[in-house]
Amino acid sequence: MKNRFLLLALSLFLAGVGAIEAQSNKISFEEYDLDNGLHVILHQDKSTPIVTVSVMYHVGSKNENPELTGFAHFFEHLMFEGTANIPRGEYSNYVERAGGTLNANTSTDRTYYYEIMPSNQLEMGLWLESERMLHAKVDEIGIKTQKQVVTEEMKQTVDSRPYGTLIEEITKRAFKEHPYQWRVLGAADHIFAAKDQDFVDFYNQFYVPNNAVLVIAGDIEYDNAKQMISKYFNEIPKGKKEIYRPNIVEKPLGGEVRDTIFDNVQLPLIAQAYRTPAIGTDDYYAVSMLNTLLSSGQSSRMYKSLVDEQQKALQAGSFAFPYEDPSLALTYALPNMGVDCGDLEAAIDAEVAKVRNELISEREFQKLRNQVENSFVQSNVKLANRAENLATNYTYFNNTDLINTELDKYLAVTREDIKRVANQYYTKDNRVVLYYLPKSQQN
Amino acid sequence: MKKSVLFLLALLVAFNINAQLDRSTPPKPGPAPKVNIGKAKSFELKNGLKVFVVENHKVPVVSYTLSLDLDPIVEGNKAGYASMAGDLMSTGTTNRTKAEIDEAVDFIGARLRTNSSGMYASSLKKHSGELLDLMTDVLYNPSFPTEELEKAQKQMLTGLQSQKDDPNAIASNIKSVLRYGKDHPYGEILTDETVEAITVDDLKAYYDTYFRPNVAYLVIVGDISVKEAKKQAKKYFAKWESKEVPTYKYDMPKAFEQPKVVVANKDGSTQSTISLSYNVDLKPGNPDAIKARVMNQVLGGGSFSARLFQNLREDKGFTYGAYSSLSSDELVGSFNAGANVRTSVTDSAFTEIIYEMDRMRTELVPVEDLTMVKNSLTGSFSRSLEDPATVARFALNIEKYNLPADYYETYLEKLNAVTPEDVKAMAEKYLKPNNALILAVGDVPNMKASLSKFAQDGQVEMYDFYGNVVKAMPLPADLTAEKVIAKYVNAIGGADALNAVNEYAMEGSMSVQGMPLKMKIYSRRPNHQCVETYMQDNLVSKQVFNGEAGKVVSPMGEQKIEGEMLENMKTESILFPETQYTELGYKLELLGADNVDGQDVVKMKIVNPSGKEQTVFYSRSTGLKVKEVSTTPQGTMASTYGEYTEVNGVKFPKKMTQVVGPQSFDIVFETIKVNEGVDANKFDI
Repeated sequence: MKNRFLLLALSLFLAGVGAIEAQSNKISFEEYDLDNGLHVILHQDKSTPIVTVSVMYHVGSKNENPELTGFAHFFEHLMFEGTANIPRGEYSNYVERAGGTLNANTSTDRTYYYEIMPSNQLEMGLWLESERMLHAKVDEIGIKTQKQVVTEEMKQTVDSRPYGTLIEEITKRAFKEHPYQWRVLGAADHIFAAKDQDFVDFYNQFYVPNNAVLVIAGDIEYDNAKQMISKYFNEIPKGKKEIYRPNIVEKPLGGEVRDTIFDNVQLPLIAQAYRTPAIGTDDYYAVSMLNTLLSSGQSSRMYKSLVDEQQKALQAGSFAFPYEDPSLALTYALPNMGVDCGDLEAAIDAEVAKVRNELISEREFQKLRNQVENSFVQSNVKLANRAENLATNYTYFNNTDLINTELDKYLAVTREDIKRVANQYYTKDNRVVLYYLPKSQQN
Repeated sequence: MKKSVLFLLALLVAFNINAQLDRSTPPKPGPAPKVNIGKAKSFELKNGLKVFVVENHKVPVVSYTLSLDLDPIVEGNKAGYASMAGDLMSTGTTNRTKAEIDEAVDFIGARLRTNSSGMYASSLKKHSGELLDLMTDVLYNPSFPTEELEKAQKQMLTGLQSQKDDPNAIASNIKSVLRYGKDHPYGEILTDETVEAITVDDLKAYYDTYFRPNVAYLVIVGDISVKEAKKQAKKYFAKWESKEVPTYKYDMPKAFEQPKVVVANKDGSTQSTISLSYNVDLKPGNPDAIKARVMNQVLGGGSFSARLFQNLREDKGFTYGAYSSLSSDELVGSFNAGANVRTSVTDSAFTEIIYEMDRMRTELVPVEDLTMVKNSLTGSFSRSLEDPATVARFALNIEKYNLPADYYETYLEKLNAVTPEDVKAMAEKYLKPNNALILAVGDVPNMKASLSKFAQDGQVEMYDFYGNVVKAMPLPADLTAEKVIAKYVNAIGGADALNAVNEYAMEGSMSVQGMPLKMKIYSRRPNHQCVETYMQDNLVSKQVFNGEAGKVVSPMGEQKIEGEMLENMKTESILFPETQYTELGYKLELLGADNVDGQDVVKMKIVNPSGKEQTVFYSRSTGLKVKEVSTTPQGTMASTYGEYTEVNGVKFPKKMTQVVGPQSFDIVFETIKVNEGVDANKFDI
């Protein structure tokens, strides 16, 4: 205890003189594979004495059995229950006792688990992540409790939240074949009906080193980190089952799909979702720039026209889903009180038509490039974000260095590309349109 | 055999390799790393503007945060004008229109936000000159265009409309009004009227009064040297004119003397948004602050191991998450514990929250738990230092709240010194479930009654979005009289079960003016009825109807029932007429929402085929009939029903109270028999 205080006092003294290390903007890293197929990425940044230990499993809701949806997300809960060596409920306590924090999130394409630890607790983080990769507790008690918790999560984040069902209502209309049709949370009755063995099977198939990438980022020494990683991860056996990766190509939508949802909302919402290319493709970057043009900042086309000038909308936005397979770009707006939804939709369509018909000006194009550059720089400021970006780039593209080069992909998009993708993808036959209306308007 | 030896050998080898790693014990940490709190440099301009600079050259970004140190103001019937003034500063200057400002900001990929107590701007370093031009144009020359105000009002009104359905917004309004009072700056809420009352002059006056350098701090963070920062500060902010800014003092709002239990409705909700909250006197830098934070962290801070999370989520599965917060504030601090729970466990969730609060007050926290929380807070303190804005915030807090200069440098030391006794003392001082507002927003009819146990007087009040008391809950728009009856029929067993009843007999007792009486009721399909009253086993009165004729036997003699009364009995004696109201020609009318003995009810007018009118009240939550009021020759007669009991799949009220004029009878039916045979001569005339 005494030593600790001395050290603390020393560190506080040094705080005054410690100059902050200037770094080049290039993010450096090392990467390699273990024999069991686990991909490892190491990134050193010694400016704060913390380290991020994270594992991205290449499994999301799209890898699920259509009859048993919600599993990838359910594991986001189960993986905190414990392991052969970690008693139930203790997983997070180890992290907290070590002064760290942890969490996880799930998407359609991957699941991400991470701890941010003081840098002297790197080994703890490695032990914890290796434990759940080797032998997580997938048993009756944990499954039973988490079934209830997940049901409440569904209510809180979907059922009780205004427009909480928006994404699932869109995806189920936009996809007939592809697993993007169901929501990440899955169906409540699938989760409830699932047998314990179903969960065990899912774990054995997907939560294996050859389906994961381990990222260690922060205040580390490369050699030391590598040694510790072998110590904890080498012995984890490679998965024996073939990993299910759906290779489903969704047919063109073949005509506009249009529907109305009556829900517990006070204000209507209009959403248009266009089928667009997968993340990482050249056209994805062009579509993404198109969305910046439409809705990023108050001078953006939609904000300026719909919210400021015509005052038809309270709010308007758009974005491309960053999904691994071809998916959607969403445009939405909430009408101001007393504004007819049809009127507002026509105004949105007019803005999109303008992009289809007219090449954007050089100045506006330069604005887009500046906006993209700024958000690219900001996206790598925090260590935890850098770790996740490294993991994502490897998982989706097998190209970790994209973290340094992705901006070039955006900057390679031309004015003509933006016009072209507007014409190619932003067509009536290629979209789902939903109106959310208050239940009181239902007759 | 050989094979198994080989196998054994292989196992041994495997064992040897594995022996290097004992997975069953967690690894030990390395030596603790140094925690460096970066330094902020500060200087002051002649006009009183205090500037803080934190250098961080990791990424080529610079941010400028201007923050005003103001006392909160009471806005009264123009609530919302201060925030409107802040929002609208960037919507036009004497040099630029809103569209020009927006375009200029977006063109350099920058961010510029204004609010009632300052502004924030950030961009890549290479654009910082243009950014400061824009920022200071907005700071010095806002023009508050009328059309921008009108636009903002329209948006704010639309926003208010959508909040009316948001359980968190409803809860927040009710908490504001009830805890601080409508005259306290924290108790004010926006309404359509206050928003509409705001004028351009209000905005200009606010700006002119409060946006002054002598109450302002400018914090510059990022890829910039102190020297450059000084140069920029002087160039852009030295001409800002100072002027005295008014200050305000407020009394501490009164605490609740006992738990105040309140509900608010959100139609169709499957969850209740619950909170237990109250005001605390805890100012930033108070010597209790660190110890109190540790205490709250044990109870319900954001971690998985916190007691509320463990109890309500991991143990009970009531919720996706349960948390508490204890926040300091210069005016009034706040404690809040809450969660979103499924409707049926609304009361149980409060019980568990109060249980955990009591446990904090009465038991010493185990050293192991305390150590974990301290480590966790130490970690989060260290992690927060990754963001250079944290260092700037520390420096600003020291200045703003007059904290000792080494407050943050000694923070970890003070944190580590907290003992279990300190935590208990903080719990005793700051956890006060008996002075709390206990609030649930959700499906009121299905949770209100269960909450009465938390109020000393058993009273649960209902409030609306604006923090006003609601006498009765408004009915859903799609409710009809027929739906109410259908729900009632279902509630007492459903049409099939009711149609299966051919006859029933009920025996009850009551006391009239001190005399015990017995009552026996016999009923048979389609509309035979006999009601007998006994005193000490002697029949004292009897009323019979056999489907066509009726009579009354009393000590005064026997009398035939005739005329209007007879007509009335023909329908009144029908078993469960509710299953065939339409065919029988009953007329139904939905009168609205009401309240019977604290229960939310639907009020209906029911007119039978002979024209006799009754007002009937059905429970909103159970659908059961709770009260009937009719006019009799003796005066208004009100019957209330309770303790419904199931017999042969049909629910009968075991308890009935009749009030006729000044008299009141309580009848309790001890036996209820269905389809067990009724002596046929009971219905003889």
